[in-house]
Amino acid sequence: MDFINAFVVLANFVIVPGLAYGAQLALGALGVTLIYGILRFSNFAHGDTMAFGTAITIIGTNALLALGITFGPLPTALLALPFGIAITCLLLLGTDWAVYKFYRTKKAAPVILVIVSMGVMFVMNGIVRFIIGVNDINFADGERFVVTARGFREATGLAEGLAIRTTQVITVVVALIAMALLFWFLNKTRTGKSMRAFSDNEDLALLSGINPDRVVMVTWMIVAALATTAGVLYGLDKSFKAFTYFQLLLPIFAAAIVGGLGNPLGAIAGGFVIAFSEVTVTYAWRRVVSYLLPEDMAPDGLLQLMSTDYKFAVSFAILIIVLLFKPTGLFKGQSV
Amino acid sequence: MSNPYQDGRGNKDRSITNPAGQGSEMPRSKSGKVTAAGDSTAFLIGEAMTGGYGKGPDILHACTIAVERGEIAVIVGPNGAGKSTAMKAVFGMLNVRSGRVLLDGEDITALTPQDRVVKGMGFVPQTSNIFTSMTVEENLEMGAFIRRDDFRDTMAQVYDLFPILKEKRNQAAGELSGGQRQQVAVGRALMTKPKVLMLDEPTAGVSPIVMDELFDRIIEVARTGIPILMVEQNARQALEIADKAYVLVQGRNAHTGTGKELLADPEVRRSFLGG
Amino acid sequence: MNPAIRAPLLFGFVAVLMIGTGIVQGWNSALLILNMGLISAIMALGVNLQWGFAGLFNIGVMGFVALGGLAAVLVSTPPTPGAFAAGGWNILIGLTLGAATVVAAVLAQSRMQKGRLRTFTTLAILIVGFFVYRAVFDPGVDAIEAINPSVSGNIGGLNLPILLSWPVGGLLAGAAAWVIGKTALGLRSDYLAIATLGIAEIIIAVLKNEDWLSRGVKNVIGLPRPVPFEIELQQDPAFVERALSLGMNPVTASGIYTKLAYAGLFVVVLLILLWMAEKALNSPWGRMMRAIRDNETAARAMGKDVTARHLQIFILGSAICGIAGAMMTTLDGQLTPGSYQPLRFTFLVWVMVIVGGSGNNWGAVLGGILIWWLWVQVEPMGLALMQLLSSGLTDGSALQTRMIDAAAHMRLLTMGLLMLIVLRFSPRGLIPER
Repeated sequence: MDFINAFVVLANFVIVPGLAYGAQLALGALGVTLIYGILRFSNFAHGDTMAFGTAITIIGTNALLALGITFGPLPTALLALPFGIAITCLLLLGTDWAVYKFYRTKKAAPVILVIVSMGVMFVMNGIVRFIIGVNDINFADGERFVVTARGFREATGLAEGLAIRTTQVITVVVALIAMALLFWFLNKTRTGKSMRAFSDNEDLALLSGINPDRVVMVTWMIVAALATTAGVLYGLDKSFKAFTYFQLLLPIFAAAIVGGLGNPLGAIAGGFVIAFSEVTVTYAWRRVVSYLLPEDMAPDGLLQLMSTDYKFAVSFAILIIVLLFKPTGLFKGQSV
Repeated sequence: MSNPYQDGRGNKDRSITNPAGQGSEMPRSKSGKVTAAGDSTAFLIGEAMTGGYGKGPDILHACTIAVERGEIAVIVGPNGAGKSTAMKAVFGMLNVRSGRVLLDGEDITALTPQDRVVKGMGFVPQTSNIFTSMTVEENLEMGAFIRRDDFRDTMAQVYDLFPILKEKRNQAAGELSGGQRQQVAVGRALMTKPKVLMLDEPTAGVSPIVMDELFDRIIEVARTGIPILMVEQNARQALEIADKAYVLVQGRNAHTGTGKELLADPEVRRSFLGG
Repeated sequence: MNPAIRAPLLFGFVAVLMIGTGIVQGWNSALLILNMGLISAIMALGVNLQWGFAGLFNIGVMGFVALGGLAAVLVSTPPTPGAFAAGGWNILIGLTLGAATVVAAVLAQSRMQKGRLRTFTTLAILIVGFFVYRAVFDPGVDAIEAINPSVSGNIGGLNLPILLSWPVGGLLAGAAAWVIGKTALGLRSDYLAIATLGIAEIIIAVLKNEDWLSRGVKNVIGLPRPVPFEIELQQDPAFVERALSLGMNPVTASGIYTKLAYAGLFVVVLLILLWMAEKALNSPWGRMMRAIRDNETAARAMGKDVTARHLQIFILGSAICGIAGAMMTTLDGQLTPGSYQPLRFTFLVWVMVIVGGSGNNWGAVLGGILIWWLWVQVEPMGLALMQLLSSGLTDGSALQTRMIDAAAHMRLLTMGLLMLIVLRFSPRGLIPER
């Protein structure tokens, strides 16, 4: 019994939140890795793209709510998500047309594009603040829990409860659907394969008649969808704040690099690796351990390896450790 | 540096930039017009081509390369003679300042390499000529990218020509051996059903045994009726299979003739074939 | 335009901006901007050294600046009575043990035969070391943080003149840069960007959470100053008399006097660093750095140790940022870890370097002062613009409120647009590298 209780505590505080956070990071990292693979630079504006998509989705959600439309037990934001994606798509395509395209035709060094993306980051950050402000916004509605702690205790008779929030389930489900769609697209469709070919060998792709402008356009569209979805899921699970999204850049980059930049499978693995290490290292293990050990050996301390404020340190330490052993990341990079 | 946008200050930070597979500066401007050329003598001919890369100095000087239907033509010559450059000129990858390129009675001098592929030229570069992270089959599919019709027949033909590729069709092309990679590269180029196939040093860096096998395959491809233009480092073997051969020296035609003629030519023997 | 005329013209333009600010908004405001502009110029100098001359992509400027701020606290504040006795040794020994653990793990990695045993030993060293470190370190922290937490609760400093903290800030930042560079530049390919991005966040997290060190988010205020306090001047009859004789309000005059004193100190530091940077870059060392930047393969073939040179310049540039950080904390008179944000302290410095001219020290200085001026002035300018634009609307209408609120966010937008415009139309910056 104690063992099951320990597991329930673990599931409640580590596994379920870790899965949800991991899925959000993975979606974010997928966007970064796609840009890295095809446009060949790390996009510093990615966090702000996520923020923009979420901001638009929030506006859409509010409009739907004003019309009296809800999504029943599910968050209304899911209904507004396609709208958010579409607008973000326009923004990214517009940015590409106005900013990045010029450097592509000039065959600019990738690091110049990184600096350019810094400029775009500033602009997008400003735009997001313009349209939605800097405050914390909670836009999750509908049913809050799929499984409540009390309901779980009553149903199982265990001492510990397991609470699973709707947003956590939605996050994992939506992320899985998005990933499956992405992999199907990249591996099975003609356009998807042409994107992988372009990422692998640009010159040969051109010789094969692949249109680079089209590849880039489709990439931005997919990135818009991934970034908006990631941002909305993160916002539903926690809350929306422009600055938090900017700060997500570090764990997202860490996830993409740990997995192997340019490799979508790696981005997903990296997302979960970073998420779980953050959650496990900053979790206070006392309750789990006290169930597993005999009573007289119960620990006094919290058994927390590091305070939650050091979660960035954890992402970063994992990153360094992985790079020391596998300089190209867990999965070999570069095969979008 | 002339182009400030290309000045990356020597930065090599892998966490932010990705050099792998990055494109080189190929002419990507719009194609010009194709005109009929009634006086064409050969199926594919680069006539009196003079030019060089970008705004650089001329490498080719009135160089002429031609290939007839159903024939194998090879370009040989010492290092730095401009062999690959001559082939790239025929393919439109450098600025031809004077001279013209004719294919099947049409003047295609103004076309970009991409449009020449559409016109029926298949080109196998010397290096980076496959998509290493994609499977063999996907490589062939990408070769057929410009075709909107059913290309399963062509793929079957390629698999007939290169049976090893059929065996390994679901393997990543980058995992194959050097000789097998070259077969993937040639197979990829054949997927467009080209009217002419151009190979830039297909045997570079493979062992002698594999080289012999590759030459056999190339002859087989030629037997299917596709004319082949090939640049070769291994002059003797190349001349043995050549119907027509060009010896280039410093970007100029030095000797021209059938493979056998050149093999017999004492001067060619002395200077390139080591006696 | 001829670069020989262009640079003086641009500096003249900045001078005009400053003087204009002085006339319109008052000399106190102008000097406030100038002082922070001078500090920004030093930060830009540091980043320019790394990016402009070695192509190193440092996006952790914020961390080095914060380390400089920490140095100001550790050098200048008085020691907390009894703190060291209570937990100082535990902390020192704990940190030593922590460092020893890392060294032991690194040694195990490099000395042992590859295999499962090595992985196991390394992991064991790390895990055991971590718990030993915590066991020694934590009691010390608790003891120190228990001492009068509302006022101190930290270990305090050395009670030395705060000017001394400027070089110490540089040393601290340089030491951190050594660790980062050793790790990130030593890997098979560079991972400097992500490493600096991460370390900067970690440094801020340490400053926010390690209360024993610098009181964390409780902030350290009232740092000693290298110049007299305004209030002291106002109480000094001689000063008041002199101010009145010049026809100035003594309160304004005291503000201007202290700010001018700061400005003098900053200009001296800036000129010394600028002189050193110019000297170094025209020396054989500087030529070698540029040779490495322009053709690393050739430089390597000539026997240059590229990694070591990169490490060197990375440490130097970061140390300069550390000096600037200590100067900034000195100017502010307080250390507030919560105020360190990457947009302001990392990316804005990058804007300064790019706009000023990468690879040109004068460009970096110009960029630093000019961009800082703009950063401060964009908000009032945006507000004025919005008020003008919305003047036709009814007062208090939703749109008008919204437009005026939006002015607060003009800064980021303007900085981004400026950077994009310069990158596109003048990619070498305002004062290009010769």
